[in-house]
Formats: sequence, structure tokens, C-alpha cells
Amino acid sequence: MTQTPAPYIALSGVRKAYRIGGEMMPIFAGLDLAIPRGDFVAVMGPSGSGKSTLLNMLAGIDRPDAGTLSIGTSRLDQMGEAARSAWRAHNMGIVFQFYNLLPMLTAAENVELPLLLKPLSRKERRMRVEKVLDLVGLSGREKQYPAMMSGGQQQRIGIARAIVSDPGLLLCDEPTGDLDRKSADEVLDMLRFLNRELEKTIVMVTHDPQAALYARRTLHLDKGDFVEEKRAA
Amino acid sequence: MTLFDLARKNAWRKPLRTVLLMVSIAVAFLIYGLTASFLAGTQGAAGASDDLLGVTSAGGRTQPLPMAAMSRIAADPGVAAVGYVTRLRGFVDVEKNVVAISAADPDLLMAVNGKGLGLTPALVGAIGQGRDRVLVGRALAEAQGWSVGQRATITAFDTPREDGSRDWRFEIAGIFEGESAATDTYFMIARYDYVNAARARGKDTVDAFVVLPRMGVSPGELAAGIDTLFANSATPTRTQSEKQFLEAFLRQYADVGLIVNLVVGAAFVTLLMIVVNTMVFAVRERTFEIGVLKTLGFSRLGIMALILGETLFVFAVGGGIGLALAKLATILAGPTLGLVFSAPVLAKALVIIAVLGLATGALPAFNAMRTPIIKAFRTR
Ligand SMILES: Nc1ncnc2c1ncn2[C@@H]1O[C@H](COP(=O)(O)OP(=O)(O)OP(=O)(O)O)[C@@H](O)[C@H]1O
Ligand SMILES: [Mg+2]
Repeated sequence: MTQTPAPYIALSGVRKAYRIGGEMMPIFAGLDLAIPRGDFVAVMGPSGSGKSTLLNMLAGIDRPDAGTLSIGTSRLDQMGEAARSAWRAHNMGIVFQFYNLLPMLTAAENVELPLLLKPLSRKERRMRVEKVLDLVGLSGREKQYPAMMSGGQQQRIGIARAIVSDPGLLLCDEPTGDLDRKSADEVLDMLRFLNRELEKTIVMVTHDPQAALYARRTLHLDKGDFVEEKRAA
Repeated sequence: MTLFDLARKNAWRKPLRTVLLMVSIAVAFLIYGLTASFLAGTQGAAGASDDLLGVTSAGGRTQPLPMAAMSRIAADPGVAAVGYVTRLRGFVDVEKNVVAISAADPDLLMAVNGKGLGLTPALVGAIGQGRDRVLVGRALAEAQGWSVGQRATITAFDTPREDGSRDWRFEIAGIFEGESAATDTYFMIARYDYVNAARARGKDTVDAFVVLPRMGVSPGELAAGIDTLFANSATPTRTQSEKQFLEAFLRQYADVGLIVNLVVGAAFVTLLMIVVNTMVFAVRERTFEIGVLKTLGFSRLGIMALILGETLFVFAVGGGIGLALAKLATILAGPTLGLVFSAPVLAKALVIIAVLGLATGALPAFNAMRTPIIKAFRTR
């Protein structure tokens, strides 16, 4: 008997339905998914197929109605809100389509936000912020406000914020959905770098087939289930 | 950056809104600071002694006591010294400019309460040099712009002279300072012998005796003893500490403390409503962002701290400005108006700042804390 290592992310029999106008609309009726550590998965699918719902469950901001959902050693489906919020602070970074930076904070302050939840000194926080800003190629722009930056730059700040507390998992919901091709490629290069060099596990929802090419593999979600799986070259 | 910096930056996102909030908070605390200083100061009887006893008629403060009662009071072994006072109320030039005159025997007053009023042998000597001479309290002298040697005419409200006139002319012989800033010096001391001889009615009566208990004698017991002494006489007495006396005196016009508390209380309740309302909307506008913070791992407690920090900040700045202005006002006008910005006044204000800061933040914080992230994200 060969021992297969337990996957990093494991969904089994996950059900999720939303009440829409008094009727329960099932999104997932028994979804199974296994993602090993260090993978870079693109999730594609038509609008309304449940991509964001899946990502929200992985982020611990939404819960399955039934089934199990574990990431690493944590059973997210069994954890209460406080535990999930602490889990997020330590294990996961999230990148949004519209960056969601706080407008009254500078680039450096936006990146520093997740570190406020950690027992770090002011100096340690500053060093970490400098390090990740350098990583995303934005050192020297610490004091700029998001409103003064291009979309691509803002998204790189968003990525810096997502990785500043060094989480193992990175979740991205259409990270390039609001960017031109060139900026999108820069951001995707960066995600690939984070996956290849820093061994972050990445789950990225995207509508863009070109973006999906940066991932190691692509999952197609349709009518609440995965229909086929393609391996990137 | 700290969590508090974040709260502070949130507060300044709409500078006009925040400035307006701070101004209304500052005004409320200015009102509070002034009224509380007023109550803490002379008018509020805080500077009054607990030891000195005032003996007045049990039938009411406006009913006089016979001068003859003095020897019976002085005979009590618990009494160290007795003085007596007749009060005249009048005005200078215009009726609004009210002035109170205490007609007393300067030597006896010195013995009873010389320290409290800041009387000196020189002052007592000065008033002794002429029957129509007076000593003016520092606050009154400054308010009227009087100086030593000047003459002043006070038109009495209800103490006519024998010649039918109500105008009393005095020569200012000196100015007394009072023991401390809290001492009421907004009155003048005239000679009883002169006033008594010249007045048309009520001769040889006084409005009050002032009694200094002997060391070691309980003022409360002595007060009861004096009242027993006159219980069955034609003029029963009511003896109180100077403090009770002054408080009762103020209450005659109105319960100043109660009115002040009601006014200040109403100001604070209004403030509470305004700030809660503003903050509920300010935080609701940020629902999405709070969802983002929660996604980053901010706990319910963290979100709550963030919003409470913001309201506390707004209250601390606004309240600080209001209290600083109140303090400034008591320094500039304190002596004349008898305002004392005491440590208890400040301490109470700080407690109110903290309580209001937390109370106004509670509802918006609770709302923000409760909103699920998924729902927060649907607000955009
Ligand atoms: N909180 C919610 N309450 C009710 N219905 C919801 C909720 N969230 C999602 N839905 C519904 O669930 C379905 C799947 O939504 P989801 O956002 O996961 O789709 P998606 O694949 O991300 O679509 P898109 O590509 O447009 O972002 C949709 O029909 C949506 O209307
Ligand atoms: Mg979506």
C-alpha cells in the first residue's frame, strides 16, 4: 500500500446553498477538492458558478453547510468565528480584484496592517514592510497614498499586504480583473515567483485564460462542480 | 503605526465632520468646566468653612434676631468668639449691579473669621477711623474698579435711612483678599454701629450671629446647643455650619446645583445623540472596509477597539480643548466670578470624557462587529 500524503487543502462533500427569494439555491452539492502544498491553482468558470463562494470558504469568511473543509491541520468547517479570524491572521493572505487598500493609509501603512495583529516591535514591522515592498518592486513609494498609484501598483501593494505576515496560503479573487495586459502580466509574474521561489500555495480565481496559464493547473467550475482539469505545460 | 494611529486616521477622513464634532464636544465641556468651577468656587460654598456656625432666625433668614441674644450665645462654654452681621443688599448706579454689604463689628469679625476673610489688624484699624468707612472684598473692588480712598454710593433695595433716602455713602478704607481663591470676596464690610444708627427700621437687630467654636468642640453639637438655648424664646434660632448656611442661602433663589446639573446633563445627552448618530453613519460608510480588515484577520475585539479608539480620540481632543478654555476662563475671570477649576472638577470631566467616548462608540462598534464579512462585501 502506498502512502499518499494528506493534501494541504481538502474539501470533501461540501454543500453550500444560498436562500434567494425564499428558495434555497444550491451552489455546491457535494464538492470534493484536494490541493497539495506548493500548488498554484487557477479556478475558472462562468459567472455565478461559485468561484467566489469557494474562495470565501477557503478564506474562512464563509462556511460550508455540510461536508469537511481542512487546510493544513485546521478544520475550518468546525471553527468558530474568532478562531477563523485568528487563523486568517496567521495562515492566509488575500488579494482582491479591486485591491481594497485603505485610502487614508500610505502604501507602507496599508502593507503594515496585518502586522498590527502580531506581537512585533515597531522596528520589526518596518523591516518586514520594507522587505515585501522591495519584493513587489515598490520600495521608495512607502509614503504614497493609493489614490496616487496606478492599478498595477495598487495591486502590488495588495500582494505585499497579503504576504507581509508570511502566510503559507495566498487566495486571489480575479487579481488582474481590473488591470491592463502589461500590469496583469507583472502581477502574475509576481504570483508565479511567490509560488516557485517562496513556495506559497496559491488559489486564484480568474476569468482570463491568459492568467490561468501562469498557474500550474486550472480547475473549471461549472454548475457547482469541477468539469475538467487541465495541466499547464 | 499602531491600532490607535489607525483609529486617529479614520477620524480625520472627513475633517469637517470631525472638526464639527470636536467643536460641539468642546463647547459642552466648556459649559461643564465653567459651571462646575462655579459650583466649586465661592458661589458654591466650597470655600466656606465647615467649622464656623451661622445663627439665624428659625423663622427664616429675612427675620432678624435681637442683638440681646449675643450675650446668651457668648455665655456658652463651647463658644470661642461671636460676631454678628446685618446684611444690606443694594446696587451701584444700575439695579443689575447688585452689591451686598455685611454690617459687622470689625474687631469681633476679625476674631471670628479674620483668617477666612483675610482681614489684617491694619485693615481693621483703617475701618475704625471713620464711621462710614468700609472694607471691600478683592473680587468686588476689581469688578467695580474701586480703589482705597474712593467713595462709593450704594442704593439699598429695602434698607432706608432715617432721613428716608436709600442711598448709603461709604468711604473705602481697605481691600481684603480672602484666604484663598475659593473665598467669596464679592461683598463689602461696613460698620454695624454706623448702619444700625442710620437705618430707619430694625434697629438693634442682626440677621445672623457668626460663632467660632472652641477648639475640640464639635460644631454640630454646639449648633444643637445654641438652638436649644433659644427654642422657647420669642426668637427661636437655626444654627448651621457656614457651608450649610451658604448652600441654603443659594437655594433660596433656586437650587443652583440642581439647575446646573440639569443644564449640563442636557448638553451631554444632546451631545451623546449627535455623536452616536454621526458615528453610526460614519462607520456604516466604512462597512466594506471593516470587512476587508476582518478578512486580514482583525478580530471582533480589534474592530471594536478601532471604533472605540476613534470616538475616544474625538472626545479627548474636543473635551481637552473645552476644558482648556474653561481653565483659561477661570484664570482670567476666576477671582471676580468666584470660579475655581479644581482637581475634582477636572477628574470628573476626564471620567465623563471616557464614559461618553465609550458610550458613543458602543453602538457603531457593535454594528460593525456583528456584520458578517460576506455581507460587508456585498455593500459595494
Ligand atoms: N451571500 C449570498 N447570498 C445569496 N446568494 C449568494 C451569496 N453569495 C453568492 N450568492 C449566489 O451564489 C452564486 C455563486 O456566486 P459566486 O459569487 O460564488 O459566483 P462567481 O463564480 O464568483 O461569479 P462571478 O464570476 O460573477 O464572480 C450566485 O448565483 C450568487 O448570486
Ligand atoms: Mg466572483
